Formats: sequence, structure tokens, C-alpha cells
Amino acid sequence: MRSVKAIFIKQTKDMTKNFSVLIMFIIFPVVAFVMTEFVARGNDDIPDTMFTTMMASIFVGMALIQSACAVIAEDREKKSLRFLVIAGVKPLSYLLGIGGVIFTAGLLSSLAFGFIGGFEQSEFLAFMAVMLSGAIASILLGATIGIFAKNQQAATGLSMPIAMVLGFGPMVAQFNEQVENVVGIFYTQQISVVVNDFSAGLTQPLTVIWINIAVLAVLFVLAYAKKGLS
Amino acid sequence: MISMNKVRKSFGTQTVLSDVSFETRESEIFGLLGPSGAGKTTIISILTNQLAPDSGSHKINVSSYETGLMLDEDGLYDRLSCLDNLHVFADIYGIARKKSREALKQVGLGDAAKKAVSQLSKGMRQRLSLARAILHNPKVLFLDEPTSGLDPNTAQGIHKLIQGLQKQGTTIFLTTHNMEEAVRLCNRVVLLHKGKIVEQGVPMEICQRHNAIKTVPDLEAVFIKMTGVGLS
Repeated sequence: MRSVKAIFIKQTKDMTKNFSVLIMFIIFPVVAFVMTEFVARGNDDIPDTMFTTMMASIFVGMALIQSACAVIAEDREKKSLRFLVIAGVKPLSYLLGIGGVIFTAGLLSSLAFGFIGGFEQSEFLAFMAVMLSGAIASILLGATIGIFAKNQQAATGLSMPIAMVLGFGPMVAQFNEQVENVVGIFYTQQISVVVNDFSAGLTQPLTVIWINIAVLAVLFVLAYAKKGLS
Repeated sequence: MISMNKVRKSFGTQTVLSDVSFETRESEIFGLLGPSGAGKTTIISILTNQLAPDSGSHKINVSSYETGLMLDEDGLYDRLSCLDNLHVFADIYGIARKKSREALKQVGLGDAAKKAVSQLSKGMRQRLSLARAILHNPKVLFLDEPTSGLDPNTAQGIHKLIQGLQKQGTTIFLTTHNMEEAVRLCNRVVLLHKGKIVEQGVPMEICQRHNAIKTVPDLEAVFIKMTGVGLS
């Protein structure tokens, strides 16, 4: 627990000074706010929550994966992780510390999306439930990619195509039924499904998201067993 | 304290260590000498369990918590301050954060505590890396080329610090290709060439054995005699 706390504090300080990671947690809510206030509101053809839901799915599918992946790849590339391991930090403690910070930042961005969307209380709770579950899935996926990436450049190269599919899949699915069927297995699409129609219920989307989490957790364990962290 | 027994290590077809055996004593400065590529860093990596040997055994009589490590690749967090870098490890070791300031003062970085690591010179980074290694008063300290690329003044400061740590009872395992540094600091040395130990013992005795004392003991001459090559 001591190591988790130490890594959490370190990563929080580091992230506030790491503009390239920090911007990912700010830009998506800002774009959602601008598009909602200046394009959607007052336009009867566009639902008020359209840009919030779109940006929220892209945020979970892109920003969280890329930030988790970038942080781990940087620590490996600069050999910082080696010193943590030698100091007795267990891989799980490291991942909980790093993941905890990204999850917290994701929580703050999700709260911002929630307020921008102007959801009612029950909708807001459902929104947060799918966003935070999606955040766990993305952090696991980002950490898995970070394990395979030799450096930050490779991390971006590996994570970008995956993040594009997961992030933009739900947006394309809004205009194409075939795409909708394919991306339905992805957690990001389930976030979009819930937020587009809160009355449809949470059970099925949350089940799909948690199946995604279980699969990604297994993938992460296999990746860790094969490559390790340091 | 630290021992290796017939350790072998290869990377692919390249043999990096061949039957390396040595033993260090408590509270001594033990030097591992050799040119680049001799296998010095590989030995430290094996002793700190970052690498597994292909065969042979190695042992350190302290826990990993009681060892400190300073490597050429310092792994410092560039965006954090010197103090915050040390706080990370103080928190991990569960020691008081005031120790971080004390360690910074010990290496002469007291005034740079709030400075971001990205703004430090190479010498200052080396000293910060050393501060991190000694933060928790380790019983064994591994120093991989601690003065490589440093100006003479900074190197001398690090030498004094290393000698001070030895007086406090720390066992220091030092790698270097600087023979003068080895003669000045080390109680005993091992000369390593292409992964093989070519000579070991007390520096002065080694030089006497090989008639390599002119005005000062000349370990470099011994190395050239043994291997046919210089250190650079």
C-alpha cells in the first residue's frame, strides 16, 4: 500500500507538469462544451447531448488508453521503472498507482462531461457508471500496450490505431447499422448506447463492458507474464 | 558480503561473462575495473537481480531493501524537482521525508532542491542519482561508473562522499575504467577483460606483482601487460 501511495503521489505531480498527457483530459470536455453550447443548443435538429456523448466515447477510447500507455512506456524507456523494481515496488503496486491517477483524472473529466450534458440525476449516475467502467477497461488496455512498447514513440504507434477504432467506432456507428453491429462488442460503443438512450437500461451495456474488462485483464496478465515490466 | 561463483552469461552468441568468481568483504570499497564492454554493468545487473546468469551462482548477504544503486542511466523523473524525486523513494522505503533533504545536502545539492531535474547538468544528475542511492542508508552500494564524464572537482567530491560512506560501514561495489580512481579509492580490485577476470587483489600488491610502480602504482600498466590493450 505504501508503494501504491508513493507512485500515486509521484504520478499526480508528474501529470500536472506533463502537458502532452494533461491536455488529453482537458481538450475533450472543452470541445464537448464548445460544440454543445455553440452548435447543439438552439438547433432543433441536433440533440443537446449529442456532442457530449460523442466526445465522452472518444475520450474513453482514446485519451485514457494513450495516457496509460504513454506513462508506462516513458517509465520503461527512461529506466525509471528499473529503480522502482529494485526498491521493492511490485508490478501490481506500480500499476495501481499509475492506473489510480489516470482513473482519477478520467473521473474528473467524466464529471465535466456529465455537467456539460446537463443530465438528470438518474441519467448522470448511469453515465458515470458506464464512463468509469469504461475507464478501467481503457487503463488495462493502455497498460497492456505499454508493456509491449519499447519506447514512447512505439507506444503511440501501437496505441493510435486501436484507440481510433475504439474512440471513433461509436461515432461512425451512429450513421451505419453494419458498423453498429460490429462495434457493439466494444465497451466504448456500450457507453454510447447508454448515453444515447438512458431509458434502455444499464444491465446489458454494463455486462458487455465488464466482459470487456475481464478479457482485457486476462490479456494484461498474459502480456505481463510474457514481457514483464522492467 | 557479495560473491559470485563461476558465473557465465551470454547474449545470443556473444559471451559476456566467463567463469567470473570473486568475493567482497564487509565495509570495503571493491572495484571492478575494465574498459567499456568488459562486462562490468552485466555483473551489477546480475547482482541486483535484473539479469539471470546462464550458470554459476551469486549471493548478497543483505535484502534488496538494504542495497543502493547508481547506474549510468539514472532513471530520474525529469519533470519533478530534485526533492520530489527523492520523496518518491523516501515514501517507498517508508522513511521520513526530511531524509531527502539530508541526502541532497550530503551530495552538495541542498540549494537545488526545488530545481526540476530537466534543468540539471550531467554532474548534478549524477549527484542526485547518488543521493537517491544513499537515501535509505543501504548496507551495500552499487556504483556503476559514478564519476564518468564528470569534471575533476565534482569527481573529487563524489570520491570524498564514497570514502565517508565506507567509514560509516557501507560496502561499496564500484565499477570504473579509471585506474587512478581505483587506486585512490578501492581496498581490492578485480581486473576484467572481455568477460574474464585477469587479475584481482589489493591494488598496490597487484602493481608490485607486475613491477608496475613508478612514482605511483600504475594499474593501467598492469592491465596493458595482462591484456595487451589500454582502457580507452
